[in-house]
Amino acid sequence: MKTSLTHHRTVARLYFWLSLGSVLLGLLLSLVMRFHLVYPATSVKLFHLLWPRQAQGGVMTPELYLSLLTLHGTVMVFFVLTLAPVNAFGNLMLPRQLGAEHMAFPRLNLLSFWVSLASFFLLLASVMTEDGGPLSGWTAYPPLSALGAITGPGEGLGQTLWFFSIAVFCIGALLSSINVIATVIDVRSPDMPLMKMPLAAWNWFLTAILSLLSFPVLLAAGLLILLDRLAGTSFFIPTGLLIADFKSTHTGGTPLLWQHLFWFFGHPEVYIAILPGMGIVSTVISAFSGRRIFGRRAMIFATMSIALLGLLVWGHHMFTSGLNPWSAITFSILTMAIGAPSAVKTFNWLATLWLARGNLRLTTPMLFALGFVSIFVTGGLSGLFLGQPNLDAYFHDTYFVVAHFHIIMGIAALFGIFAGTFYWFPLLFGKMLNETLGKVHFYLTFILAYATFLPMHFAGFAGNPRRYADFTSFEFLSPLMPLQKAITHSAFALAAVQLIFLFNLAWTLWRGAPAPENPWSLEPATASDPDNGETY
Amino acid sequence: MPSLTQSNIGGPPPIDPLLPPGGSGDGGGGSPNDGSTRAASMTAIAVVMCASVMTFGAFLSAMAIRRGLNNDWHKLPLPKILWYNTVALLLSSVLLDLARRKLRQNKRHLFNPLWTAGTVLGTLFLVGQFIAWDQLAGHGFYLAGNPSSAFFFVFTWAHAAHVVGALLAVYYVEFLGLKYELGTRGRTWVAASTLFWHFLDILWLGILALFVYWA
Repeated sequence: MKTSLTHHRTVARLYFWLSLGSVLLGLLLSLVMRFHLVYPATSVKLFHLLWPRQAQGGVMTPELYLSLLTLHGTVMVFFVLTLAPVNAFGNLMLPRQLGAEHMAFPRLNLLSFWVSLASFFLLLASVMTEDGGPLSGWTAYPPLSALGAITGPGEGLGQTLWFFSIAVFCIGALLSSINVIATVIDVRSPDMPLMKMPLAAWNWFLTAILSLLSFPVLLAAGLLILLDRLAGTSFFIPTGLLIADFKSTHTGGTPLLWQHLFWFFGHPEVYIAILPGMGIVSTVISAFSGRRIFGRRAMIFATMSIALLGLLVWGHHMFTSGLNPWSAITFSILTMAIGAPSAVKTFNWLATLWLARGNLRLTTPMLFALGFVSIFVTGGLSGLFLGQPNLDAYFHDTYFVVAHFHIIMGIAALFGIFAGTFYWFPLLFGKMLNETLGKVHFYLTFILAYATFLPMHFAGFAGNPRRYADFTSFEFLSPLMPLQKAITHSAFALAAVQLIFLFNLAWTLWRGAPAPENPWSLEPATASDPDNGETY
Repeated sequence: MPSLTQSNIGGPPPIDPLLPPGGSGDGGGGSPNDGSTRAASMTAIAVVMCASVMTFGAFLSAMAIRRGLNNDWHKLPLPKILWYNTVALLLSSVLLDLARRKLRQNKRHLFNPLWTAGTVLGTLFLVGQFIAWDQLAGHGFYLAGNPSSAFFFVFTWAHAAHVVGALLAVYYVEFLGLKYELGTRGRTWVAASTLFWHFLDILWLGILALFVYWA
């Protein structure tokens, strides 16, 4: 059936392809970085071909490593974890779950996609400048990110384009939030009170509210730092800064201001990535356990609590930045408090599974949903360490943090995305992904994700610093090289396993038969199951 | 249960049966299946206002921190024209709202002159802001240099960007009004742009108070 470009499913597909392209780019970048970390002096012809200036002779410069790190983080956080869960699956399912035919503003919906795509191209342009890409990571901490080319190659035009890309992305995210919020409030069926709304819809709704409250702050901070870079203001640059032989003429600013504004966005961003995955997991667990989610009302209030607390804990990213101890304690207590609603959600998922034991159907989406629960608990537990200022003082700049956020924000959210992809693929493309390939893909991904990211905790315990391009110059890190090599090998295996998914996707789209009417053979929905009642 | 469609769960607002389609003889009712409704449009405007509040809130918190950091903060002498601009903005808001009310009371003939006058005053506000920036620059207050002038430019540029966006909507309504095409959708534009214009008043009064009393 031919549908218009503004149809919500078409927009969902566009976002799906953008996120898929982004995740593949991010994955390849991570492999290049992991290779360089453990074989820093090895000459690779491909590196020379790709980056003739920054990898002369096939050996990467530290600056190139940092620019790849920046691009990897930016692509994964913004174009995968922000776009796929809400904009791909939310667009696909929200009107359907709410008993509507459209999103509230179909044309605005398509416009938000084009704006996001423009932001993506700006980001790509930022790494294609003559001096290379920006070096300051996805958090772009000033003063280095605010001073221009003097702070390193790629910090000139590349960093400026990076900030423009993020500003444009913020606008796209806001347009998308407008649509989700207006759709839930005004286009929802009058027969559907809010508390009867599917859990996935609740999660998309609360995610849109978080986006609405956090992206404008990032936009404001981005505009201020662009003025510091381009117009000579001093919002984030302190007096008398000396870099190499260059003395900055800026006076009076403070980099801490950026950190406050950035993390006011940055921490809710974690929930923008993970909340939709929780909604998808609730839907999938409900479908394949054949019963409604245990404590459904509590799930809704727990999600609200997580969203609210998520807005109040940005300071835990700044424990090592010199916060007032009372502020640090406050942020620490609030951070720990997030454990309570998170535990409620986990308990309710497990209780649903327990009550449905014997009736569970371990389909691929269900496996990914169960994997999500496991990964979420693992990542949440390491968060308890980092939420304490005294422990964070040690862990903050180590691989412990890399492990934590890759597990809780990256892998957990990706498992939610995989669960949604397999479960709703018949609605997205009218076909059914192969289950056998899907299960093989799941088991290998689950094992290798743990094999890649769990050992990073041990590297963190041993004090292995993050953001370093090369560990070989530091004697105290040499005992950790076997561990780092094992992580790299596991990462390559994890990436290789994703070829199974890509093959499954390509084969299904190319040769797959149309999906049947009830692709998952679900029992006819009953009124007591608001999560799947109207969807399949 | 009847099937749920856009039109029966939140379609266009009911139209007065005594009026021809679009109300008051205007055409341009909009497609019933285009997804957007009056309620959704008003929600969207409310969401945009929330986003703007967060943006200006971020600027305000940045200003509060920056002001307390150093002794390089000097009070900015505000150009007199800002007061005339304020009057123009508030008056334009009153006129746009009067136009909206007259339209709702089916006094269609009063809508165009009132809306046009409001639009002209809104445009004058923007022109006045350009003059204010020029006067400040003439006295040596630029974006770079004194942090209070930097924040003044940031706040007023951001507000002006909002005004430009709102003026696009106001001019669109003006265009529809002059062509007598204020149908259902046009009336939604009237309500939404008037509400946003009032929001810009409040925002401007807040910015002005900030620089008069504190910055």
